[in-house]
Amino acid sequence: MKAMIIKELRLIGKDRRSFFFLLLMPILFIVMFGSVFNQSGSGASITLRTVDQDQSTASRALIGQMQGIMDIKQLPADSVNEQLDKIKQGQFTAMLVIPKGFEQSMKQGKPANIKLYQDPASQMETAPIQAILESISTQYRDQKQTGLLMASGETKTQAEAALASPIHIENVSASSDHFNMIDQVVPGMTVMFVFFIMITMARRFFEEKKTGLLSRIRTTRIKPLHYLIGMWFPFVLTVIAQCIILFAFGHFVYGLRLGDVAALSTVILSLSIAGTGIGLGLSFIVPGEGAAMVITQLISMGGAMLGGLWMPSYLLPQSVQTIGHFTPQFWAQHSLQDIIAHGAHFSDIWGSVLILLTFGLAGLAVALLRLPGFLRSAAN
Amino acid sequence: MAQVLIHPQETYTPEAANNGYMLEVSGLKKTYAKKQALENVTFALKPGTSFGFLGPNGAGKSTTMKILTGIVKADSGSAKLFGKDMMQEPDAVSKYIGYVPQEITLYEKLSAYDNLEFFGEAYGVRGKELKKRIQEVLVRTGLLERSKDIVSTFSGGMKRRINIAAALLHRPKLLILDEPTVGIDPQSRNHIFEMIRDLNREGVTIIYSTHYMEEVEALCDEVAIMDQGSIKAMGPLGQLLEQYGQKSIYLEVPGLTEPPQDSDVNAYHKEGSGWLLETERSSAVMQRLLRLASQHAWDVKQLEVVRPSLESVFLKVTGTALRD
Repeated sequence: MKAMIIKELRLIGKDRRSFFFLLLMPILFIVMFGSVFNQSGSGASITLRTVDQDQSTASRALIGQMQGIMDIKQLPADSVNEQLDKIKQGQFTAMLVIPKGFEQSMKQGKPANIKLYQDPASQMETAPIQAILESISTQYRDQKQTGLLMASGETKTQAEAALASPIHIENVSASSDHFNMIDQVVPGMTVMFVFFIMITMARRFFEEKKTGLLSRIRTTRIKPLHYLIGMWFPFVLTVIAQCIILFAFGHFVYGLRLGDVAALSTVILSLSIAGTGIGLGLSFIVPGEGAAMVITQLISMGGAMLGGLWMPSYLLPQSVQTIGHFTPQFWAQHSLQDIIAHGAHFSDIWGSVLILLTFGLAGLAVALLRLPGFLRSAAN
Repeated sequence: MAQVLIHPQETYTPEAANNGYMLEVSGLKKTYAKKQALENVTFALKPGTSFGFLGPNGAGKSTTMKILTGIVKADSGSAKLFGKDMMQEPDAVSKYIGYVPQEITLYEKLSAYDNLEFFGEAYGVRGKELKKRIQEVLVRTGLLERSKDIVSTFSGGMKRRINIAAALLHRPKLLILDEPTVGIDPQSRNHIFEMIRDLNREGVTIIYSTHYMEEVEALCDEVAIMDQGSIKAMGPLGQLLEQYGQKSIYLEVPGLTEPPQDSDVNAYHKEGSGWLLETERSSAVMQRLLRLASQHAWDVKQLEVVRPSLESVFLKVTGTALRD
């Protein structure tokens, strides 16, 4: 069996296609999703084009206040019409205009109008801008009322206390203080591409059969069961190595926290048994390499969608979430995120580990049942 | 169809088991999807024999070899190696057998050395002994210098040599080669022939399957002619040629437009610039031809007894030419 394992590891090491599917592709996906989510995760990503026609101290103060929250792009005072055309063409979604007389109105105690032009088709994007502007407007109102109360003889503290909201919202994270989209993307892409090992496995078994190598091996002292295990075990090691590399990439490049490493290792081991076990079963039941390719993609991509690898499960419709429970991908992702984001330990994830092992052992059982027929078909 | 069994001193029968025979095969039958692939194949080999299976594609040669190596199960019949049942005790006999399949069954992405290491370990050879034997077979194949090269970079002939080498690492007593020279250059073919002759001289019993008659003539001292799943004739090469081969005399005389008539000549054929006279009494015919030549003062360019060919044996035994 040792000879089989060493030979198979050498072959996997020389297989460029596997390297592409198992490592290069997931790294590319992690980088791609990582950059997208990293950008959308920062406050500076909300951009607001602003035209300051007043050019006063008050208008500059307002812009300064907004700049702390949004990315403000100031445009020339006479470019309003040109910018409006651009909104109509869909080049951007909103523009703020501070009209002439803004400061004067404030000094006179009159309402100082500012105009927010927005694309009605992009309400999702303009809603945060509107909320930020309303928040700034509220702050101006509070300042004005504080001034009035202080003018009527109250101290600043008394005035602020009088204007304070009776409700205070305290943000408490239910999971951890560091959950971000990378915690979704790295395990998600890792789990998704683990299942691509099935293509490599099926290809290897069919090659062995087609080239006559399997028949020749049968004339040696290698027993059928040793052959099966000897072919399987290197793929388990390959998937473990794949997971280690992808998590290390996430850790060193994106600062992904790994949580309880022992628990993480247990999930990786059971995931590799699940992925390769299913691959083993698949290799012995499909009629050819083409069918294996199609079924692998179905299992990998379908499982990724249903199992919540592309987006958190709770964002999926309830029916999809329920179906997802029947995929190994769901249990792998669920337990990995528990460890990474919720600080789970082995005692919290052993159920998922058992389910993953059951998937793997089911695949192995199918392979064992089909092995005699597979060997017979190789002889003819 | 009845078998013609010929053996030098004795005809093998299953009852004569263990009578100095190393391999005893009796009544092998195999059917694939209602097609009879083997029909009552029986033969026996003494140690050190170089035994050729000659027959066209589909004759049953590969099926016989696959049964002997345990790849295919026979429907009925038995095969014993050193008295051990090859079907019931495959593990006990596999260490004695080296099998070289018709296809080049090597890992093309691995080096020659890595391939040999794998097959050596698969046959149960380990450690320093394996290293030593790999060195030995690499020297034997003439590929020592290329041992670290990837097999896919090898020529067809080099791959064939490594294909054979992979079956030698456990020093088998019986080497089964299934058409091991298909599609290779003459130089590599000669190298392989030399390897096989050396192994046979060292005491390895050879079973060599081919559809090239010249290979059987060059390598084998005993031959079985197979066709349509059964052995049609079997025995030492010389005896088969003597019994079934068409004896003839070749005569070349410039200007001889008609062949000389002789009552002992069965048929005349124009061949090249001369005549081929088929006869069972070559000595008598030769003497008469010499007298004729002397009487007519022929300028004889060539007059010789032509050795019977395996092709004529095959034609006589099966009723068809091997190349048909």
